[in-house]
Amino acid sequence: MAVTDPFEAFGDVADLALDLADPDAAVRRVAVLALAETADPEAIPHLGGAVADPDAGVRRQAAEALGGFDGPGTAAALCAALADADPGVAAAAAESLTELKDPAAGAPILPLVAHADAFVRAAALRGLRNLRLATSLGPAVGALGDPEPAVRAQAVGVIAYLKSEEALPSLIGATRDPDAEVRRAAVGALAFSRHGHAGEAIGHALHDDDWGVREIAADALGRAGQGTGSAALIVALDDPYWQVRQKALRSLGQLKAHEAVPALLLVLADARPTLRKEAAAALGEIAAPQARAGLAAIADDTDPDVRKTARWALDRLPA
Amino acid sequence: MPLAHTPSTVPVTVDDAKCIADKGCTVCVDVCPLDVLRISDLTGKAYMKYDECWYCMPCETDCPTGAVSVQIPYLLR
Repeated sequence: MAVTDPFEAFGDVADLALDLADPDAAVRRVAVLALAETADPEAIPHLGGAVADPDAGVRRQAAEALGGFDGPGTAAALCAALADADPGVAAAAAESLTELKDPAAGAPILPLVAHADAFVRAAALRGLRNLRLATSLGPAVGALGDPEPAVRAQAVGVIAYLKSEEALPSLIGATRDPDAEVRRAAVGALAFSRHGHAGEAIGHALHDDDWGVREIAADALGRAGQGTGSAALIVALDDPYWQVRQKALRSLGQLKAHEAVPALLLVLADARPTLRKEAAAALGEIAAPQARAGLAAIADDTDPDVRKTARWALDRLPA
Repeated sequence: MPLAHTPSTVPVTVDDAKCIADKGCTVCVDVCPLDVLRISDLTGKAYMKYDECWYCMPCETDCPTGAVSVQIPYLLR
């Protein structure tokens, strides 16, 4: 019986790369897989070459494989693949760009923020987001004026990851964008700031026409930790969407908003178990003694999650 | 583990027309945690040798050509 060596070498990169010139596309594809398996940075130029292969399947495989590598060489090859005529190759390259961590990878990506193709612009911004480069702030702020909503949403993502107070006016401006996706991203991004203007903008977003924006605003107010938002959150408890009401309940608990206790007690009788549970959890966080009777009333609720949360909340109340 | 005698009824099926195992690809065989896939000496294509599956799916998702498909039983869906 043949014994397999578990530490068998994957093969020399130069030898494996020879198959990239094979006339059979399937052989070239297997060569790409083998090169990716080596995890050797020497494979990057070969995989970069495979991104220009005549077969779309090989190009897609190479774009996917480059996601396992890093550095400016990888970024340059992926940037070239972003403009591929095959949408599958371009999508694989865009996905792999998000895996880059080396700050040096930003150099080939940055110029693409001004590319003629909106897909490339959006993918470049998405790739820049994880790199958190200070140099990407200017191009991202500029991209907030892009005609394509997908590009503007990705630009908000870059600014959000940088958490720069300098970009706060741009983010606040994006909360009034005509596209709901951009507004959602901008409102969520503002949660990092403790600045009063950020809190005001999030509070304003609680009245947005899009319920998704209102939901994120209700969540962001809790994460932002600004007690001034509790009045707006109490109003949001009457929102027609239960998702918004749920986030408002959670945020009121996080803010330990004592003034919200009467409104929270009313939610303990809501028809939705998930809202009764959130209200009980918020009352537990606030630990207001006047909530004892209301919490005791739902300690035997029909829903087990509500019962568990109510009992947890009762334990937190001061004796 | 029981041998898979009837390839058409096993959970993991391989489209021979798409499979490139004969060119050296072994992705599905390598990722299977139960080690139930093999490359056929006869056809050079991948196939399910043992009728045992966790329905964990990497063989299907990692296949570079989309040749592998896993039939998940109705009650597990």
